[in-house]
Amino acid sequence: MKHEDNLRIQAWMDGELAPKEAAQIATLIEQNPEALALSEELRVVENALHFGEKSAVLDDSRDFYWSQIERQIDAEEPLPEPYATSVIASGNLLRWIVPVGSLGAIVVLMMNFGAMNPQPQSSGPDSTSDASVLATPTGLTESAIGREKESTEPGDMGVINFQGVLGSRRLSDPEDPSTLPESIENPNR
Amino acid sequence: MAKKLDIPNADDESLVRAAQRGAMPPYEELVHRHRDKIYARAFSMLRNEEEAMDLSQGAWVKGWQRLKQFKHNSSFTTWMTRICINLCLDFLRKRKRKQTDSLDQMEEESGGVERRMPVEEFNPTENVEREELRLQIDDAMLKLSYEHRTVLILHEFERLEYKEIAKAMHCSIGTVMSRLFYARRKLATLLISLKKERCK
Repeated sequence: MKHEDNLRIQAWMDGELAPKEAAQIATLIEQNPEALALSEELRVVENALHFGEKSAVLDDSRDFYWSQIERQIDAEEPLPEPYATSVIASGNLLRWIVPVGSLGAIVVLMMNFGAMNPQPQSSGPDSTSDASVLATPTGLTESAIGREKESTEPGDMGVINFQGVLGSRRLSDPEDPSTLPESIENPNR
Repeated sequence: MAKKLDIPNADDESLVRAAQRGAMPPYEELVHRHRDKIYARAFSMLRNEEEAMDLSQGAWVKGWQRLKQFKHNSSFTTWMTRICINLCLDFLRKRKRKQTDSLDQMEEESGGVERRMPVEEFNPTENVEREELRLQIDDAMLKLSYEHRTVLILHEFERLEYKEIAKAMHCSIGTVMSRLFYARRKLATLLISLKKERCK
């Protein structure tokens, strides 16, 4: 017998088959000794289970058993109102902090981006001011800006020279074709 | 004026309705009436007295917390038993070690040796004292994996249909059928071997 037939015999015994299929299995059990033996075995196991399954009974007294449940219920009661309210309030606060913070970050980035794309006239040799323009929106303190200015002095080794960077490689400006990279957008270069 | 509830003599439904309004003593009475049944179900699934005790108490705590959701569509004990079964299933799932699909496991899922084993005529209840059979069943049930034991219990004792078992155990109906078949045949094998041992 196929495994599928075994499962169908079991399903028939469990009352899980549609009437038409149930009739087919009933016929199979009548005609096939193997199918009959299997159905008998399954029935015997079922009876044994119902006859012999251990009936577990609690030994604890009523009061002791209940006291443990009661203690757990008390421990898991809803939070007191003021605490719950403060949690809700902090939840509201958090709900606003995230978008406002994100918006602030976007504004700072946009200011930064604007500063990093200076107009052509501002990209002359005296571009230490560009460094300060770049530096300020990034949140550097005054003293940090001072250090930044100092570091732009020629010959100051080991520090990024903003003047050099901006002077030798001007950043792309969509309005100025001369600043576009060498590509099909700027075939004249 | 509302009539005072005679707790010891009130029926389950009256006790549940009173408890749903927040009264604890009627709930205590319900716990007292049905604690053995809930504990027995937890024990049948876990086969461990201490764990069954803890989880049956956990079920009563959950029952209290969710009592307002009980719509009286079934009996209170059926509802409580479902809570207990779900807690046991969660517990067993968490406890089960993460295993890679071993050959044994795959064999077990598909029926394995039991699927091909010849059917033997036997009667485990014949000439056996009830207590002795209980010990045999207990021993045999312990040897089943929790998945096989659970489908057997849900089907045989809770009278759940295949689709209900599949839903509770997060598996397909086909898996339920295979597990049930395997569990029954395995139980038959174990009972036969226990009987043979006894006859020696």
